[in-house]
Amino acid sequence: MTRAIDTMTTKKTSIVLQFIKDNPTGIIGLILVFSSIICAIFAPSIAPYDPGAASLGHRLDMPKWIDDTGKSQYLLGGDQVGRDLLSRIIYGARISLLVGLCGVAISLTLGTFLGIVAGYFGKWLDDLIMRLAEVQLGLPFILLAIVIMSVFGTGIEKIIVILGLTYWVSFARLIRGEILALKEQEYIQAAKAIGGTDFKIIIKHILPNVASPILVLATMCIAEFILLEASLTFLGLGVEPTVPSWGGMLADSRNYMTSAWWISVFPGIAIMLTVLGFNLLGDWLRDRLDPNMKV
Amino acid sequence: MKKYNWLTMLLVCIMLLLVACSGGTSTENGNKNNGKSSGKNPATTRGNELVVRVAGDPQNWDPIDTYLVAWSTVGTSVFEGLVSRSLDLEIQPGLAESWDYVDDKTIVFKLRQGVTFHDGEPFNAEAVKFTFDRLLGEEGQKGPQYSNYTSINRVEVTGEYEVTMHLNSIDPVLLTKLSGYGAVIVPPKYIEEHGAAYFDMNPVGTGPFKMTDYQRDKQVVIERYEDYWNKDAIKLDKVTFKVIPETATALAELQTGNIDIMTRLEVSQAPSAEDTDFITLMDVATPTAYSIRFDTSKAPVDDVRVRQAINYAIDKETIVKEILGGYGNLISSFQSELSFGYNKDLQPYPYDPEKAKKLLAEAKIAEGTTLDFFIPGTDGTFKEIAQAVAFYLEEVGLKVSINSVENTTFQSELIPNGEAGHMYKNGWGGWTLDFDNTAYLMYHEGEFWNPSYKNDEVEQLLAKERATNDSAEREKIFKELTEVLYEDATEVNLYSEVEIYAVNKRVKNFQPPHDGRFRFENVTVE
Amino acid sequence: MQSTISSILSEEDGCMLSYILRRLSHTVLVIIAVSLIIFFSIRLTGDPVSIMFGAGEPSQQAIDELTAKLGLDKPVWEQYFIFMKDLLMLDFGTSYRSNSPVLDLLLERAWPTIALALGGMSVALTIAVPIGILSAVNKGKPVDIFGRIFSLLGISFPNFWLAFMLILIFAVKLKWLPVSGFDSFSSLILPSIALGLILSGILVRLIRTSMLDVLKMQYVTTARAKGIREWLVIVRHAFRNALLPTVTFVGLQFGGLLGGAVIVEQVFSWPGIGRLIVDSINQRDYPVVQGGIIILALLMIIVNLIVDLCYSLINPKIRTGRGDN
Repeated sequence: MTRAIDTMTTKKTSIVLQFIKDNPTGIIGLILVFSSIICAIFAPSIAPYDPGAASLGHRLDMPKWIDDTGKSQYLLGGDQVGRDLLSRIIYGARISLLVGLCGVAISLTLGTFLGIVAGYFGKWLDDLIMRLAEVQLGLPFILLAIVIMSVFGTGIEKIIVILGLTYWVSFARLIRGEILALKEQEYIQAAKAIGGTDFKIIIKHILPNVASPILVLATMCIAEFILLEASLTFLGLGVEPTVPSWGGMLADSRNYMTSAWWISVFPGIAIMLTVLGFNLLGDWLRDRLDPNMKV
Repeated sequence: MKKYNWLTMLLVCIMLLLVACSGGTSTENGNKNNGKSSGKNPATTRGNELVVRVAGDPQNWDPIDTYLVAWSTVGTSVFEGLVSRSLDLEIQPGLAESWDYVDDKTIVFKLRQGVTFHDGEPFNAEAVKFTFDRLLGEEGQKGPQYSNYTSINRVEVTGEYEVTMHLNSIDPVLLTKLSGYGAVIVPPKYIEEHGAAYFDMNPVGTGPFKMTDYQRDKQVVIERYEDYWNKDAIKLDKVTFKVIPETATALAELQTGNIDIMTRLEVSQAPSAEDTDFITLMDVATPTAYSIRFDTSKAPVDDVRVRQAINYAIDKETIVKEILGGYGNLISSFQSELSFGYNKDLQPYPYDPEKAKKLLAEAKIAEGTTLDFFIPGTDGTFKEIAQAVAFYLEEVGLKVSINSVENTTFQSELIPNGEAGHMYKNGWGGWTLDFDNTAYLMYHEGEFWNPSYKNDEVEQLLAKERATNDSAEREKIFKELTEVLYEDATEVNLYSEVEIYAVNKRVKNFQPPHDGRFRFENVTVE
Repeated sequence: MQSTISSILSEEDGCMLSYILRRLSHTVLVIIAVSLIIFFSIRLTGDPVSIMFGAGEPSQQAIDELTAKLGLDKPVWEQYFIFMKDLLMLDFGTSYRSNSPVLDLLLERAWPTIALALGGMSVALTIAVPIGILSAVNKGKPVDIFGRIFSLLGISFPNFWLAFMLILIFAVKLKWLPVSGFDSFSSLILPSIALGLILSGILVRLIRTSMLDVLKMQYVTTARAKGIREWLVIVRHAFRNALLPTVTFVGLQFGGLLGGAVIVEQVFSWPGIGRLIVDSINQRDYPVVQGGIIILALLMIIVNLIVDLCYSLINPKIRTGRGDN
């Protein structure tokens, strides 16, 4: 009896092990993404200090483990105004994920809609949307950012909107391409022939088929958006300095790179691991779901 | 399983490498006894020339078309005015050997003889007249410099080497204005022959150096002018100004010896720069003042008690000491201590949170009232200051919401239109080193930089100050004016800027300029 | 036989021509749309006149005169038509900041911009082609996994951080390469690496996928069966055919690279077009912003068009307007 259970568990474990062995990159990606999500959700309970509590006395404190003077109480050191770097990095996961997820939600919705319209209905709608995409690509991202921020002010929600509005093109093009290939398939033709409405065909037959490339692209877009938030801060268009964002921490620490390396290196590692996580995940998803996809 | 281990190892290795690379640089720099490679000065192979880092170039060298310090940095070596402002900010003879006030509104300048422009054209009274006709005429009026010289009515040629300047009104700061920018003397024949557009890119003046190469956003090269009237003072053959917008990049250039002088070193970079053997830091007080200006039309900062309370609540001394590393001087009015009109008897508001709380209670300000604080998004140091300010104000029960906004919008739209919240970062260059210009632009009703402040007493004092040339009288008026402004707490005066220059030790006799105007007299290199 | 082919060809040619014409007419529309958006949106962000007066005390008269000189006193629509009229004669206007013709400013930047784009692309290809091929050939093996993680690492850093790290390591610490500027070939290396690493991440993915597609094909199997050496099969048969999507991608990215390297240009003090446009946006130098962006958009659309045409030559199905990728 016990023996039987034993073999079953070993079997189970070996299946899990086999899976891990077969998909090392995917697992690493998953772990990285998952840990940043955990950080974001449980930030208040994980973070050892209040990420907003400045105290100039602890300005640029060294990380605790290399500080010989014993003055530092912070594990990863203190930042430019004496806040705990670790806590800020933990809270920073919230901002990065917010920017990534919400930004992608906007561009995905917009792009999918326009892509379906262009691909499915074709003709002048297709032309119109594809030319719109060219217009969009012709407008530099930075210009759009400056215009929106100088008219509406800065803030995290504006960054999300700007990213969302700029990146619909990738989704639209991808989906349009997929649909053009699908449309010629027999079962869609058949569905049309038996009088299925366009709406039904799109929902029932088209969407499920384009879901996996969308998922792959979305994962990779999240990674890109997290980095773009940093780039915007570098150009002076980022979130408020009180908001603990990885991009902001990194951009504002560039002059400390050699004198207080920790305030630049640790947020850099945080952003790198998360972005790498999403990229690995996207790569792996693509291999499993849609190996011919060219993104 | 094997594969998985291998992979983890790899990831760990990459991470370690990264940390080691970035961390390694700093530990090495941080440890003086580490036998570091920076011992040899890599710049010594360069000849008798200097390379200076600048953050930007003015794009256009015509003196009437600019107001940028970036212009002055180079322009001071190419052009000269009738008078010259020395590195110690003394007014000295320039292209005029002497001058006399015939009356309050008439000045006679005796010009230096035997001076030539870089194209060989002689300098004389006609050139001076041409310069001011151009500045005050149609061409100059479309540029930013005209408004600085409206007190001049006309310049009259009263001899080959003598001009008489007739004024419209008394102008106490005229002489210092004649030392730079719009008033530098330009060559009449050259401009007439080649046109203004050519002059923009190929400027010619009488200065110690002539510009021999200008590549926009890349570099400006100036070379010694052999026929300069005071050429013995010029030891260098050539100076190259390299445009490097990023300070972090500029420091790297300095540490590798590719540049000799770096302007505007950030406080945050000082430790790394100091740790390089062949680099020395020089600091110099500048006329630039920084404050947090209140928009006095917005409640609750329309109440003077609230404004004073905020002044008491912020520990400016600690901010300067900690965030600026001591590179900054506390000020009690919105001008640097170099400026004429600075009131030394007036002490900055002391740090007194109890008093601040009391004043806030008197003004019946509820705990947790939120104030909007606007700052430009590009200024890393001020971002830190703003966060410290938010922290101090929170201690007395005020909440601060920091809005970092796009720089140009901030300056050209938000501030003048009164849309920059309850308070905003205010920085002012004060190039005339006289409170006159600053006070007028900041507190006179309806000025571009003054969205809402109104005070009759201030208006009267400003008018009185502009009506006299007598410095003792003006000093008295400024004393009174600064006291009124202090009581009214129009802003939180934070500090006047101390600029840090990082200089390669091979450069000798270099004195960093207070006003950003480089002077290379007697500078040598090893 | 002969005549049928030629008749098919001419029919195809006619079809091709009308396709090109249609696309060209669309290009005009796209450019007009881009110009409209830039023209009006940049005017929403603030007034250049107040910036040009800086710290002075301009009189209202001076402000009005300068506004009139720049033509900003006219109704915006009229300004737009004047701008478009000049544009047709290839007159891009005069920069507010420097008083120089916009075209001169753009041409000054053309060489450094192209050099950096080529440099970045070369680095990307040098990294991505071998990794992409090796990954595909050794699918699932450690080489594959290592290659992919390496390529993904390149796109996992904010580019400015990567750029500073490159400077710190290769210029300051090892002193192998110059820090910044555009003086010699060696000063091109670091910015090209910074740019190339980002591109290579995507390229590796693309080459690997295309290679995997091709390796499954009949002719590769046949070639193998013939006993041709493995590396020859890979290089001569497989990679050649996987090249098409790669070239497409490189082409499309090249247009974007010309204007999109702002941050790399900023960090390396590179006098490129991206930095010019961003500086001009910051100073509200309208003519430079308008001219620069329209030229970049035009370049991008032309590249796009060429890529599409190449595609449709190879695969006539697309010509009817079905499918860009």
